[in-house]
Amino acid sequence: MQTVKHRWKDRLQRVLITTLVWTPPIGLIVLPLAGFLAYSFFALDNGEIVHRFTFGNYIRFFSDAVFVPQFLRTCLLAAGVGVITLLAAYPVALLLWSLEGRAKHLMLVLFVIPLLMSYILKIFSIRAILGGRGYLNTLLMAAGVITEPTPFLLFNLTAVFLTLSIILFPFTLLPLFVTLERIPKALIQASSDLGGAGWLTFRRVVLPLSWPGGVIGASFTFVLALGDFVTPQMVGGPTGLTFGRIVYSQFGLAYNWPFGSALAVILMAAVLAVLALAARIGRSQGGPP
Amino acid sequence: MTFPWPVAWALRAFAGLVLVILYGPLAVAVVLSFFDQTGTSVDWSSFGLQWYAKLFANRGIGEALVNTFIVGAGTVVTSVVLGTVFALYFQYGGSPWRGLHRAIIVTPFLLPPIVTGLSLLIFFREVGVPRSLLTVVIGHTLLVLALVYRTILQRLQSLSPQLIEASYDLGATRAYTFRRVLLPHLASAAVAAGVLAFALSFDETLITLLVTGSDNTLPLRLWAMVRTGFTPDMNALITLILAATAALSVAVISLVRPQP
Repeated sequence: MQTVKHRWKDRLQRVLITTLVWTPPIGLIVLPLAGFLAYSFFALDNGEIVHRFTFGNYIRFFSDAVFVPQFLRTCLLAAGVGVITLLAAYPVALLLWSLEGRAKHLMLVLFVIPLLMSYILKIFSIRAILGGRGYLNTLLMAAGVITEPTPFLLFNLTAVFLTLSIILFPFTLLPLFVTLERIPKALIQASSDLGGAGWLTFRRVVLPLSWPGGVIGASFTFVLALGDFVTPQMVGGPTGLTFGRIVYSQFGLAYNWPFGSALAVILMAAVLAVLALAARIGRSQGGPP
Repeated sequence: MTFPWPVAWALRAFAGLVLVILYGPLAVAVVLSFFDQTGTSVDWSSFGLQWYAKLFANRGIGEALVNTFIVGAGTVVTSVVLGTVFALYFQYGGSPWRGLHRAIIVTPFLLPPIVTGLSLLIFFREVGVPRSLLTVVIGHTLLVLALVYRTILQRLQSLSPQLIEASYDLGATRAYTFRRVLLPHLASAAVAAGVLAFALSFDETLITLLVTGSDNTLPLRLWAMVRTGFTPDMNALITLILAATAALSVAVISLVRPQP
């Protein structure tokens, strides 16, 4: 009698825990994502969202002359940001890795502070530098590089590219640094004991073991650059239109949620493809899990 | 690994250049926050705290700051509690579905914030939940949960199962073992995760823009201010936030850094 009662209580407890543990992820992650996918197949009729299945939004995306090139251009921009931050992050990560003790800690803090610094204010301060009457122009003129302020620095795609590269740099740097830190010291020691000169050790041991971390960092940066809509809006001006801005505008001024959802689904597909690729590279090369 | 000196110096020079690019715009703002300026010409004789005084008299910044702290606190509590429960479930629940459970939790962190924000926006509309600070807390929690969960799970997995067995062998109940063995082991990881969650919530902009109602958090207030045009007290604000961020970064790194 006692054990039956006990078992019954155990089972009840198990059901309760299972319900408790699965409700938040299903209710707040799976359902909203499913709803968002469903919305991309709905339509808009006289400003009202019609809950009826249609491929219309996707057909519009692929048939309109604007969206596909815009999407590809934004992908290219985000990929460029990923590559340039990777190229800049590699030497910095190597330096951080080679430092010891307090110096290492201090440098790490210096490179992490911009990551936590207010996003809007960072963009804002960069915009003040890039502007037509900004300090970069003043400096270039003082140095005699240009004779009059160049308007090329602000309110275009170049400005979006520069700003995103500066802001997202730490996202590429940190995974790369963590991967370098995980290389066992014994491996480096073994390589030099076997007569591997510095360059050889770097090329044959350090580089192969660390580049997956760089790829993962750069792909994070790519994802964030691709979906950003605040940076392009602040420094992009009318010519610096990006895909993220187009998506966002569907939920604001343009007010077409179903079409906006379809655009965001396409964005998500691109992101998942890149992340899957990066994870695959990371796994096959023994990068961070 | 030590580099030969020319390489080491080249790396240092390059890192220095990167730091100049990262900090240059902020440094300009910090310097200018103490001076009056017209256009790009600075009146160097006007050194003073006038812009700071003006900032404190400002337009809804205080209110936005309070909102940001409310959201941050809500996010920390929710994400640490859920993160701990989910990590315990993964480690000790014995469910064959735990891998799927983990994958779902990590998803919002991997997706671009715009997708997470939009799916919540649509969901809240369909379910009829009015947008408020509560929906902002939900959005932030989903974003930071992956990190909190991972941090706590990693700590949990470093706990030797023998400690728990020993506790049972000595006659402790499950609740007692949880309180006296598991919780103390998790405490520092939970604190580190909480600080990280707060830092991320404090500056979250993209999801917040999509799921907030009429309440502004600090980033949204700034976004509105920046769009209406430049005022020199923005530089004062940049200086203050940079100082606060630097303090927070030191705290985060000291906590998150793996113990040697």
